[in-house]
Amino acid sequence: MRADRAFGLVLALALGSSAILGVLLAVIIPHADHVLRYGPDDLVDAVTLLLLVLATCGIALGLGSLFRQLLATLALIRGLVSKRVIAPRRVRRIGRELGLDGRIDVVADTRPFSFTYWFRRPRICLSTALVRRLANDELRAVLMHERYHLRQRDPLRVVIARYFAASMYVVPVVDELASFYALQKEIAADDDAVRHFGTTPLARALYKLLPDAPERELGLLIPVTGLSVTEARIERLVAGRELPMQLSPRAIALSVGALAGATVLASIGAGTSVAFANLPPLVAVPGLLVGPASLLFAAAVNGGAHQVRLVAGLVARA
Amino acid sequence: MSAPLRRIRRAAAGELLGPLETAVMDKVWKRGPLTVRDIVDDLARTRGLAYTTVMTVMVRLHGKGLLARERAGKTYVYRAAFTRDEHRAVLSRDLARGLVSQLGDAALAAFSAELDEVDATHRAALRRLASKRTKGR
Repeated sequence: MRADRAFGLVLALALGSSAILGVLLAVIIPHADHVLRYGPDDLVDAVTLLLLVLATCGIALGLGSLFRQLLATLALIRGLVSKRVIAPRRVRRIGRELGLDGRIDVVADTRPFSFTYWFRRPRICLSTALVRRLANDELRAVLMHERYHLRQRDPLRVVIARYFAASMYVVPVVDELASFYALQKEIAADDDAVRHFGTTPLARALYKLLPDAPERELGLLIPVTGLSVTEARIERLVAGRELPMQLSPRAIALSVGALAGATVLASIGAGTSVAFANLPPLVAVPGLLVGPASLLFAAAVNGGAHQVRLVAGLVARA
Repeated sequence: MSAPLRRIRRAAAGELLGPLETAVMDKVWKRGPLTVRDIVDDLARTRGLAYTTVMTVMVRLHGKGLLARERAGKTYVYRAAFTRDEHRAVLSRDLARGLVSQLGDAALAAFSAELDEVDATHRAALRRLASKRTKGR
């Protein structure tokens, strides 16, 4: 499954990057106490301080992402799931057919929506507006879509992917892979529903849930980049087309630069090793200290700015 | 809280328009540009309403951007700023955006999310597929 592969890639890259950055952090810790106590005296101290700041930012962004997600999920449960009503008979019947007995909440809400939430034993939430709007076969297709998320424990995977995307901000490819996973899990859930019940009920359900808007008949879809998640799902439903994984050259370049820089810095103890001290300064300082630190810093500025924009967008929407 | 966000929250609660506001908008959409007096006379056939009550409602609808008005002598002539379909589309999109905003950073996987971000071409393609009777891809 492409969703599983995408999630596996996020994990592999994030854990690999964590290992490199962890080693780098471990080698600067003995020197960090001196720098923090007396301040930076030379270039080696300045690089150590820079690395400490970058590491602190990564830890803060990762923990911040975890807390935001947990708080938002709890707020959602308080706000929506607390409006739970007795599930209509047909929801209970279809739920039993799909092996979802006791795992579906129906909440009173004028907006048509469904989602799967919680981590250890996920549950499915449907709004009364969605249940009213969908025919039985459409409801069955939507519940099959949600069953995929439930069985894959996708809410937990989402938390993990977002955590790594935030904490590994110096490796921007992780964030792009996490976004690709977010798209692939929806497509995989759609595929599962289509495999069981065909394309039409799911397409009808999706169409019924789209906000009213004008349409333009432009014939065949044209594969383009920058599709929203729903547009990509429609392309998949209509044309069976899979979107290729597209990582931006900028993200790849920054990530490779950051990891190469971190590896070089770790190998010379960020300028504190004896081997580094024995090298000619005119070659070693720019080539092995300033250059690699600059690569790491450039990636950190790029990734940090992206994370700040992300949080600012969430705050503005709240 | 900003005005658009308040509008989205009200829309999310199904409270974008009250009963009297809905009645006024229905009249304007049906009959075209009207004065407050026209509405009062029209609504008087089914329910008795004070002129000032209807005027307050129409001023509020103007404030919400649903009615546009032009001065004609000593009175205002009100007309709908959007057609009924356009209004339905705006309301529907606001509902979807309100939901996405409420879901925010929550850890979940959703069948319906970001549904407002679908262009007209994809919408039309999905409608064609949804109208098919045969199953399977």
